[in-house]
Amino acid sequence: METGKAKGGSGAFAGTAEKLQEVFELSMLYDFYGELLGDHKKQIFEDYILNDLSLAEIADNTGMSRQGVHDAIKRCTKALRGYEEKLHLAKKFEGAKQLVGEIQQISGEITQTGDVGRIREIVSRAERILSEL
Amino acid sequence: MAVKIRLKRMGQKKAPFYRVIVADSRSPRDGRFIAEIGTYDPTKEPTAFSVNEEEAKKWLANGAQPTETVNRLFKKAGIVK
Repeated sequence: METGKAKGGSGAFAGTAEKLQEVFELSMLYDFYGELLGDHKKQIFEDYILNDLSLAEIADNTGMSRQGVHDAIKRCTKALRGYEEKLHLAKKFEGAKQLVGEIQQISGEITQTGDVGRIREIVSRAERILSEL
Repeated sequence: MAVKIRLKRMGQKKAPFYRVIVADSRSPRDGRFIAEIGTYDPTKEPTAFSVNEEEAKKWLANGAQPTETVNRLFKKAGIVK
């Protein structure tokens, strides 16, 4: 992803999962910390990550240079990752979400089987969620 | 008029979900689009991508340009090589 140039068309197939993963990651980080970016940067970042516009299209819309847009997005990405590194809100959220999902699943199974001995599994997950808050 | 196939972020905060849409390259921000041809949900495990293959191929054949991200999804789904 550091090449910056390899846009448009026949890009390497190898990076597929990573690129999509990155869009998802940045989209999540934007949900958590987007309000901390300036209005102008926010708009550019939204267009790039949320509306899937190309650098050239954003440059056209804003009257900036393509390079300028590229740099702005880089700075936003760096800022968002910096916030996450310090605050870990997205990571904590993912952890809690995962555990709540498991609790849902286990409760469903207990409802079906009536095996109340498994309530301990729910308790241990609830404790983990609380300890990570 | 250039027509693009791109992702559009939907879903609530912290629960991203995308539509695959066909839109005029010049109506990006107002949200208007010509057609919706699929969805992509990266929160599922594994990620869930569903697209109307026939529609996608039709638009591609008519010269619609997929964005880099959409192109990657299409490759994954075997719609383009």
